[in-house]
Amino acid sequence: MSSVHLAFSSSAGVALSSLAEGAQGVIVEVRQVRGAHPVSEASVERLLSLGVTPGASVTLLQRFPGIVFLCDQTELAVERGVADAVLVRLRENPS
Amino acid sequence: MSCHIAHEHAAAASRPLTLRSRPMRIALVGQPNVGKSVVFGRLTGRYVTVSNYPGTTVAITQGRALVGAEVCDVIDTPGVNALEGTVSEDERITRDVLETDRADLVVQIADARNLRRALMLTGQIATFRKPTILALNMVDEAFARGIVVDARALEAELGIPVVEMVAVEGRGLAELRDALVRAAVPQLPPAAHASAAARAEWAHALTTRVRHVSTLSLARVQEALAWATRRPLTGLPILAVVLYALYLFVGVFGAQTLVKLLEDGVFGRGVNPASTWLFSFVPFPLVRDFFVGEYGLITMGVTYSIAIVLPVVATFFLMFGFLEDSGYIPRLAIFCDRIFRTMGLNGKAVLPMVLGLGCDTMATMTTRILGTPKERLIAILLLALGIPCSAQLATILGILGGISFAALATLFGVVIGQMILVGWLAARVLKGERSEFILELPPIRWPRVGNLLTKTRLRVWWYLGEAVPLFLIGTVLLFVLDRVGALVWLSAAGRPIVTGLLGLPPATAQILVMGFLRRDYGAAGLFQLAHSGQLTGVQAVVALTVMTLFVPCVANFLMMVRERGLRTGLAIIGVITPIAIFTGAGLNYVLRALGVQF
Repeated sequence: MSSVHLAFSSSAGVALSSLAEGAQGVIVEVRQVRGAHPVSEASVERLLSLGVTPGASVTLLQRFPGIVFLCDQTELAVERGVADAVLVRLRENPS
Repeated sequence: MSCHIAHEHAAAASRPLTLRSRPMRIALVGQPNVGKSVVFGRLTGRYVTVSNYPGTTVAITQGRALVGAEVCDVIDTPGVNALEGTVSEDERITRDVLETDRADLVVQIADARNLRRALMLTGQIATFRKPTILALNMVDEAFARGIVVDARALEAELGIPVVEMVAVEGRGLAELRDALVRAAVPQLPPAAHASAAARAEWAHALTTRVRHVSTLSLARVQEALAWATRRPLTGLPILAVVLYALYLFVGVFGAQTLVKLLEDGVFGRGVNPASTWLFSFVPFPLVRDFFVGEYGLITMGVTYSIAIVLPVVATFFLMFGFLEDSGYIPRLAIFCDRIFRTMGLNGKAVLPMVLGLGCDTMATMTTRILGTPKERLIAILLLALGIPCSAQLATILGILGGISFAALATLFGVVIGQMILVGWLAARVLKGERSEFILELPPIRWPRVGNLLTKTRLRVWWYLGEAVPLFLIGTVLLFVLDRVGALVWLSAAGRPIVTGLLGLPPATAQILVMGFLRRDYGAAGLFQLAHSGQLTGVQAVVALTVMTLFVPCVANFLMMVRERGLRTGLAIIGVITPIAIFTGAGLNYVLRALGVQF
């Protein structure tokens, strides 16, 4: 339990795919492999070129049937595996 | 602000004309869906297909523009997200333009709302060391969302001219023309070139310095619509309404009202009797039959492609253009992603699949937007197998709609089930990779009527130029087969399968063979058979199911060959034919065993 708590409060960030709808945060890392399903290098590059880069602010808009999030002013739809690759530091007090 | 513009004009005016051995070449570069094609059209007066869907420009378009007293060549390039690393086919095309001397000057078109992304690209364009201008397009939409970019500050940081534009309204075009002479190589701090991550950091920092975002948004209605179309609870009812509107406009207005007008009126009373009369003066029966006989080039080929298919295709393209420009179709991809993934595709495949409901031939060409060769192949296979084109859809609805809803549900259930099964198998059997689903959702917009009409006109022209000749070739093929007696022989050979395995009346054999060559034409034959009361409910369902699953029309086959080669084209036919026959046989057996009547 404590490790889960730690993961949430540390600056390491949580996977975008684990965010609740409406949660806001700042991207800290976009990495290639996370968990059982590795995300292809091409996908990581594509995310970066779409502006999904460290420092960008994100808002999770929708979880079902697919993950939809707002990254700066770009609305993006991705499959869960891709959202696993994006690590986010949650904003403490979503405005 | 005003003195700045005055200064610009002065600079433009004082610059002497340079003599060149050839016109200066200006390349328009930018992310997908930022309005490059609109700017191109404004600069050159030429129109290229513009849509609210990323990746519409798949090839380079070139045009002449007058800048001051100088003639320039303007190049419209496909939208790019990156110019380094693993790049797509489109991105390679654009990179080639920048690498060679095909471009003397680069105008980067950027979406003012997405400055950070645009700057990531600016950083990559800078590495080509070409004079560059940054055009911030759609500043009106950005403003409506509370985003203001300080263009002058950006100009100072990058060392290149930055122009604000609303290209669709023609605002900022004059400023862009004036700024061409001031184009310079973008100046980035050396550290920003170190890596993709370093460039992202630089773009992020620069964006925060020059962009101001307020929480005020004037685009509430658009945002509400964007929200409603992607949530399952509201999105699925909206989808149902959209499909029903599509059916009313294309299936009823296009396929019935307009077709009747053209087929019975223009062709039935005008063109065909007139040309038959004209050819009656030709003394050679073979020539006469070639043009106005049963499989005549005019009486069948032209009549069919202009009177029956054209109205359906035109109404469909108009409706499709509307959905495309409104930004709706990418939202549909969210709903389709999961089911498409079981078939080795991802949500992006929704665009060719929906387009296939209009014309499978054109949809086969659009599979180019898919990420990998494997995905393109699966999509082409599924289009050929299960997606009925608008002409077929009209026949299916016309025949089965009159029988019962259960009959319709059975047909679509079997066809969709077959598509999922075949797609699932293909995803496992075929070698290659699937690409992951990452799709940008463009904002919901009210389409511009002028753009919509021009786009529909261009697509109809495409149909007339590319698909109609293929229809005519198909008709000639049919004429030859008929002459050498192959049609009779094929029908005789197919009869045991048709009457025995499928349990259909003998007359269906001929129609199914025709369907081999032109499945939509075969569907029309079935229509007549059903209306003269020669088909039972079960027979109608079986015959139409086989027809839908069957080999595509000749035009579609030729397109498959053009896109993927002759071997793949023949392989697809070799796979689909037995699937169609055995599914029909199985359906016939099950329906009869259960004693279904419809």
